[in-house]
Amino acid sequence: MAEPNEASRRKILVKLGRDEFLDCFQCLKCTSGCTALKLLELKPHEIMKLVRLGFVNELAASEIIWTCATCLKCVQRCPQKGSPYHVIMALRNLAVEREAKVPEAYLKAVSQILENGLSQTIQKITTRKMETFDRTSLKLPKISAPKESFQAVFFKALEEKQE
Amino acid sequence: MKMAVFWGCRILTSQYAYEMSVRQVFPKLGVELVDLREATCCGDPVKSINIFAADYLAARALALANLTGSTDLLIPCNRCHFTISEAKHRMEINEKLHLKIGELLTEEGLEYDPNIKIWHIIDLLHDAVGLEKIKETVKKPFRGLKLASHTGCQVIRYSDLGRVDDAENPRKLDELINMLGAETVDYSEKLDCCGAALTYSHQDAALSLAGSKIKALQGLNVDALVVCCPACQMMFDSEQKDAGTAVGAKLDLPVLYYTQLLGLALDIEAEKLGLHLNQSLVDKLLTKIPA
Repeated sequence: MAEPNEASRRKILVKLGRDEFLDCFQCLKCTSGCTALKLLELKPHEIMKLVRLGFVNELAASEIIWTCATCLKCVQRCPQKGSPYHVIMALRNLAVEREAKVPEAYLKAVSQILENGLSQTIQKITTRKMETFDRTSLKLPKISAPKESFQAVFFKALEEKQE
Repeated sequence: MKMAVFWGCRILTSQYAYEMSVRQVFPKLGVELVDLREATCCGDPVKSINIFAADYLAARALALANLTGSTDLLIPCNRCHFTISEAKHRMEINEKLHLKIGELLTEEGLEYDPNIKIWHIIDLLHDAVGLEKIKETVKKPFRGLKLASHTGCQVIRYSDLGRVDDAENPRKLDELINMLGAETVDYSEKLDCCGAALTYSHQDAALSLAGSKIKALQGLNVDALVVCCPACQMMFDSEQKDAGTAVGAKLDLPVLYYTQLLGLALDIEAEKLGLHLNQSLVDKLLTKIPA
């Protein structure tokens, strides 16, 4: 059964760099303008309420926190500067720390950054006329990969838990 | 004006047309571009995994910009622009974070100097180069074209951070288009998100978002959609066919970068602007522009 957990609630506050959650009076401005509401049923005002009440463990294990489109409308429009987007990001970080199920593409992006610095692989583009181009044939400059020391430092940064 | 450029991942690895057109148009407007060496990801996808590690990557981009000797940094991608602007802000208000990230950067022999101004193509063109200068430089103004603008989300929100245009009524991209002689439309879906961030977890929903917006624009009979972000271009242009399938509509709207449009008005060859790389039917637009 769902149960409020004070320690987890504090973890989210630390990640947000706050002493207490700002007063959300459930005006629903965030949810009414949410990009992910219609298709994925994300209701930011519910997340705000649940976190405030301490139901953090449940949210960190839930798939709903991975439905945010990061359009930032909720941050912009919240009259209390409550910022559901930032709360959702903090919940995602907590989910990762707890080794909950994380969408594969995020993990892949991180491993690609570790490998060569960029989150994506270099692609060849096939045009409307079915010709293929890459950076070289487009006469674009060569990408300079970071030195090996980058990998070690980025790995160290990833090990950091905000507590 | 000397300007360091942080391209981010998507432009360097697939959205080549943006890079090509940016490299073409800015020197013609008196802006000299300097590439960063050994640049890495801005941290955008890493925020979901570990915000501290993302902030480190963002600070690293700024430290690399410092190395060029320029105090101005152009970030043409909306998502990189937001990620780096927010990390910079966090380091400004949180001394502990600033020091911790500074230590990590030292291990790579880098140093972050907060005295750097971040630009996007929108404010660089609109506020620094200036509308008048653009109008004067145009060689082939467009007549009778009706275009729609999509500024995107992360370059206009959230205002407390200092963004390039108004969060609820962005006008600068429209004004920049108008300077080239084309008309712009106001439409009710203007602020709708392209959905790019959802490609990480919900591909179908992402495509539906992009498809709905293009479908609405087709109903308004616009000649093209103009964007200024590689993630938005990916959704509206590269993925347009699949976006159409997702919303059950036949989509054939030309979508292009503002820098490509500007380049055409400056009489730069279409191929140099990467217009052969757009996946949407930009030919439909090009035939309406007198050679």
